[in-house]
Amino acid sequence: MIELDKHLIKKPENNHRVQRPTQTGFSSPATHYSEPRIDLNEVLVSNSSSTFFIRVIDNSFKENNVLSNDVLIVDKSLSPKIGQLVVATVDDSFKIIKIDSASNTELNIWGVITYIIKPVL
Amino acid sequence: MIALVDCNSFYASCEQVFRPDLINKPVVVLSNNDGCIIAANKQAKALADIPMFQPVFKIKKLLDDNNVSYFSSNYTLYSDMSRRVMDTLMMFSPRVEEYSIDESFVDLSSMHNANYDTIAHTIKNTVEKNTGIPVGVGIAKTKSLSKLANKYAKKIAANNNVYVVDTEQKRQYLLKNLKVKDIWGIGKKHAIRLQDKNVNTALDFANMPVAWVRKEMTVIGERLWRELNNVPCLELETVTNAKKGIGTAKSFGFKLTEFSLIEEACSFYVAEVADLLRQQQSLASQIEISLETNQHSAIDKQYRNKIILNLDTPTDSTIKLTKVALKGLQQIFKPGYRYKKVGVNLVHLVHKNEVQTNLFYNPHKSESDAITKLMDNLNGKYGKNKIKLATVGNRSKEWALIKEHRSPRFTTQWGELLTIGG
Ligand SMILES: [Mg+2]
Repeated sequence: MIELDKHLIKKPENNHRVQRPTQTGFSSPATHYSEPRIDLNEVLVSNSSSTFFIRVIDNSFKENNVLSNDVLIVDKSLSPKIGQLVVATVDDSFKIIKIDSASNTELNIWGVITYIIKPVL
Repeated sequence: MIALVDCNSFYASCEQVFRPDLINKPVVVLSNNDGCIIAANKQAKALADIPMFQPVFKIKKLLDDNNVSYFSSNYTLYSDMSRRVMDTLMMFSPRVEEYSIDESFVDLSSMHNANYDTIAHTIKNTVEKNTGIPVGVGIAKTKSLSKLANKYAKKIAANNNVYVVDTEQKRQYLLKNLKVKDIWGIGKKHAIRLQDKNVNTALDFANMPVAWVRKEMTVIGERLWRELNNVPCLELETVTNAKKGIGTAKSFGFKLTEFSLIEEACSFYVAEVADLLRQQQSLASQIEISLETNQHSAIDKQYRNKIILNLDTPTDSTIKLTKVALKGLQQIFKPGYRYKKVGVNLVHLVHKNEVQTNLFYNPHKSESDAITKLMDNLNGKYGKNKIKLATVGNRSKEWALIKEHRSPRFTTQWGELLTIGG
């Protein structure tokens, strides 16, 4: 259990943010070139109102390369194509299923997995 | 044309999105403090024995016997899900009026010669697919009619949660099938008076002489009458006006006698309302503090009081507001009572940019403003209430609302994500 907790993707606790100091000397030559730093939300979440995060708590989906402690990014607005992974509700619980040509059309799809965040430390 | 989109059993639906085991099962949501049922889904309402607004402890057995799932209200989740629904509606029109947490008007005037039945179904299916929240859609030429269309959409199962008033025939049919009391904005008193005059259906009302309506129901009634007759009188309100007062009054989880605990709760609520105040860029000129015992208790001695305090200058500083609030609390607190509730109300709000400077007003940012800003920054980063004034203390377990059955805040707290496993 301690192992599990160690690998959990968590928000960092000791990441201090201080107010940026005001530059008092010469104005920076980079002033007109500065850009906002890369924000993963912009890259990984294209439709925030339909995107949800789900934490995987065991290895029951390892055949699809989804392991314990992974965090899934799931977009409910998408319709899955063949070969894609979905979160579906089967017998009252959530399951991860790979869509193939034999997939049941009656499948209760909750959302399409767009990215899997894996802790590797 | 205007669409009114209304979420079905919104609070229960929010819970069900994350609980596939509860699909098509009865679900109810409890009030703050788990006091009574405030929301129930269709399946729960169908169990006629389940009384709404009843103290929960009295009906717990009934709920369990009927397999009803109950949740403490999780307003953090509901508010995020509501935003998701609103954002989804913005895909259809840039003009959306957020009428309540689960209802929005959508301006469809930019869609000319459209097939409104198709639009209604597309809105319904898209919201449901993207957010998991089922909705009903009513479309008509006026707000009042779209509200009625929505009601009718849900009332008759064959409508499939959609009703569009795009012909005169459908307007007449809609009004004929709804009662006067169903009309949005007609109070109980007027409804009874109209029924006494044999005005029973919404159509009867729409067919009354306008002169009579104006005389008996003022200009407000006349506006409604016109709206039902397809003449738009109510504008879409797409800009939210800043609130004139911001307040909160919540019951404690337990009856409190100790001043220091009430002081902690009061400080907590001041910080909460001050935060809202800053979000809407306002300053408060006065703060009202109220304190009361349980007025429904037969065994407790009763006491209630409130006090309004002036602030030297309008402020949004949590530190200044807390100082004044606690001074007020001290003045109205009387020992020997079991207190149930403290209320904090910020009143006489002014916008930050339109503060009237008085002789003593110091327009320079004070030290307390800087501290408040720093606290806001840190709390934005580390989560609500991580940084707080010492007066808030850390004994919230001894006064905070009881929310024993609250679901995780799936969408706003990284530590409370939905989980999946075998
Ligand atoms: Mg509703």
